[in-house]
Amino acid sequence: MNQNVDELIVELRAELIKQLNLEDMLPEGFDENTPLFGEGLGLDSIDSLELVVLLDRNYGIKLKDPKEGRHVFQSIRTMAEYIAKNRQA
Amino acid sequence: MSMSQRVFITGLGIITSIGKNADENLQSLVTGKYGFGSLEVLETVHRDSLSACEIKLEDRALSEQAGVPLHEGFTRTSLLGLISLQEAIQSAGLSPAEVRTSGLISATTTGGIREYETHYYELMDPKLRGDFVRFTDTATSGEHCERMADHVGIKKYLGTISTACSSSANSLMHGAQLIKNNKLDRVICGGTEALSKFTLNGFNALMILDKQHCRPFDSTRSGLNLGEGAAFLVLESEAEVNRKKRTPIAELKGYGNANDAFHQTASSPDGAGAFSAMQLALSSAQLQPEDIDYVNAHGTATENNDLSEGLGMKRLFEPDIPYFSSTKPYTGHTLAAAGSIEAVYCLMAIKHAVIWPNLNYKNMMPELGIQPVTTLRQEMKLKYVLSNSFGFGGNTSSLLLASV
Amino acid sequence: MEEKATYFINGVGIITPQKTFDREVFLSEISQYDKNILTCIAPDFKAYINPIQMRRLSRMLRIGLSAATICLRNSKITMPDGIITATGYGFLDETAKFLKELLEQGEKQLTPTYFMQGTSNALAGLVALTIKCMGYNNTYASKGVGFENALTDTMMQLNENASLNFLIGAYDEAAEIQYNASIRASHFKTEFINNLSLFDTNTKGSIQGEGSAFFMLSGKSSASTLCIMSDMDVVYKPDGRELQDALDNFLATNSLDAEHIDVIINGVSGDVEHDAVTNTLIRSRFENTAQTRFKHLCGEYTTATSFALWLGTSILSRQQVPDIVKVQHWNQPDKLRTILIVNQYMSKSFTFILLKEFVQTQ
Repeated sequence: MNQNVDELIVELRAELIKQLNLEDMLPEGFDENTPLFGEGLGLDSIDSLELVVLLDRNYGIKLKDPKEGRHVFQSIRTMAEYIAKNRQA
Repeated sequence: MSMSQRVFITGLGIITSIGKNADENLQSLVTGKYGFGSLEVLETVHRDSLSACEIKLEDRALSEQAGVPLHEGFTRTSLLGLISLQEAIQSAGLSPAEVRTSGLISATTTGGIREYETHYYELMDPKLRGDFVRFTDTATSGEHCERMADHVGIKKYLGTISTACSSSANSLMHGAQLIKNNKLDRVICGGTEALSKFTLNGFNALMILDKQHCRPFDSTRSGLNLGEGAAFLVLESEAEVNRKKRTPIAELKGYGNANDAFHQTASSPDGAGAFSAMQLALSSAQLQPEDIDYVNAHGTATENNDLSEGLGMKRLFEPDIPYFSSTKPYTGHTLAAAGSIEAVYCLMAIKHAVIWPNLNYKNMMPELGIQPVTTLRQEMKLKYVLSNSFGFGGNTSSLLLASV
Repeated sequence: MEEKATYFINGVGIITPQKTFDREVFLSEISQYDKNILTCIAPDFKAYINPIQMRRLSRMLRIGLSAATICLRNSKITMPDGIITATGYGFLDETAKFLKELLEQGEKQLTPTYFMQGTSNALAGLVALTIKCMGYNNTYASKGVGFENALTDTMMQLNENASLNFLIGAYDEAAEIQYNASIRASHFKTEFINNLSLFDTNTKGSIQGEGSAFFMLSGKSSASTLCIMSDMDVVYKPDGRELQDALDNFLATNSLDAEHIDVIINGVSGDVEHDAVTNTLIRSRFENTAQTRFKHLCGEYTTATSFALWLGTSILSRQQVPDIVKVQHWNQPDKLRTILIVNQYMSKSFTFILLKEFVQTQ
């Protein structure tokens, strides 16, 4: 399936909200470029582990080193771009 | 502590991946024999990729050692507990009447989850019958304590503590409190933990397991190894010890319990909780940092713990950091049982005047600039020893043991 | 001999299958259940927990944290010196979720959240984290005596230093995994009943309950003091005369005769065999004492003593006994000053708690 980055962004936004229980707490102006960790959405280390599993379960990508996640999970856009490049069937 | 009643340790029992009793554990500590290796008893899909410090005994062999029938619903956790409890009772030379008037405080995080995960689908169908039925109600933490108490004849006071990796250190504290408050003359305290798919996968999901043999306090450390085991210590009041005219093994002279209040599973980067627990232990014994001869560190080899604990130790002891080491490369992280297992190792260290090495250490952590003891040190006269246990939920505990 | 402190209950927060989180009502609006499982009536959590924290909290963690927060507010203590929790079965729903995923997914692609939320000390850790309390922190998971261990631990610490404030709480979940398994052990009735007719049945088993109750205990009274907990004792697996002797010793130690007790809170659970033991015990000394029962309101769970403690505390502080807890042939006592709780869990452990009225002196 050749989803483009924009389609992935839409899909990921919905997945993140569901997986991380974010319904009630999206900040004003949250979009695909909002930083997910630190300032911005304020996710933490446990959330990053959840995202690692999400990458594996939904897209077949195994992130071996949690530190690699820091770059991949910067924003929904960086996640979408990484998935578009690296996803397995 | 205003109460004058002193608390002594008069017996101990232990079973781990490096020995099925005290003597075997001692031999392994001396010879550097560790329990880390492939999983052979626990059935898991991770057998080829994750290793641990497993006790290479099937439940059948454990049941024999514990002297209980195989099919009566003793979980592996309760079997390990029972074996070490019985050794502790024998080591203290307790009569049946003395056992009957003792309290029993145990600790575990998983209880009988290993049996529950094995028989889950059958247990969930109330219409099914079979051997698994004996594990209907054995999953809870408290069940193993009742099981052990019923078997050895204790019913005066029971309790099970579950504060993750600091659990059995807290068992010892509660037991000491009961004696100091004159509620009991004697309390047997400790903890027990069997490996399970549940914990293996839980820790794996947290990505804090090291596939290799762990390296506490090493700058290249990358996680912990899990282990299983149990240990119990007999605590008796000063009055009892005087009455019986037996020389105790050591004194439980002080203890501290604090909370890091930083994160559910991570320790604070400055080691505030670690510092607090150790400091409370010192002040409860009316001692100063320079009085401590050796610290048996929690030292799990996770990036987070060793940094946090190391900084806590520095803050407390600088400029004179005492000898310290983690014995977790020997036994793995035995979770709830770690506190009592490592207390036993401290008692052995005091008795034999040795300091156990922190195996696998090579590279100093630049943030700490201190290093643990790396080879077996003998002829070390140890008067005051601290044993640290820190867990999820921010629970930090520290025990202060003194030679007699 | 160590000096015993006086133990003041200076605050309560409780969430149960009845509307107990609301201080304005005292068991006047009663909820009924007819499938043998009683689950909590929860408040709007947003009143007690900030939304950012809430997202990763399981249902029982939200309930526990809210109950703790209510207790802190009622006692007007923002920073206790210690936090102790107790449970019997722990966070079973989350444990079950992790276990099921583990088994269904063949130990692959597991997330850590359920594992973390399933640890017994997660609530004590959460409360400490929320209020940044770095003091003493402990969790007892001792089945039928866990809450009693927590009380004993606190009492000993208050004996050492009466000015301390300890936040003690209990929690247990009416989890499906426990219900399914425990039917075999006759923990719960196999026939469905309405909870309010629990004590009209003559069958084995009780009904499954749950709840979380927090108390602020101190050796010093305050403007928020509700009552005094004078003494507590626990008996485990008594045989022969041991149970009777334990009750008699408890009374003697506290210099009490039957006429000194105004109300008994009886922890019968609707199980025909277990109840016979407790009722016989109470009848032996308290034939004519006003009696109340409570497990038809909250169900049976290992830390149900905490519900009884709240009930006794409320009766004394409000000077009122709700009709729904009175047994038939209620003898209205002429005063409400001293209460004796006699609870039991599966006739394996028995708990006696003595409560006394506290009168504010200003």
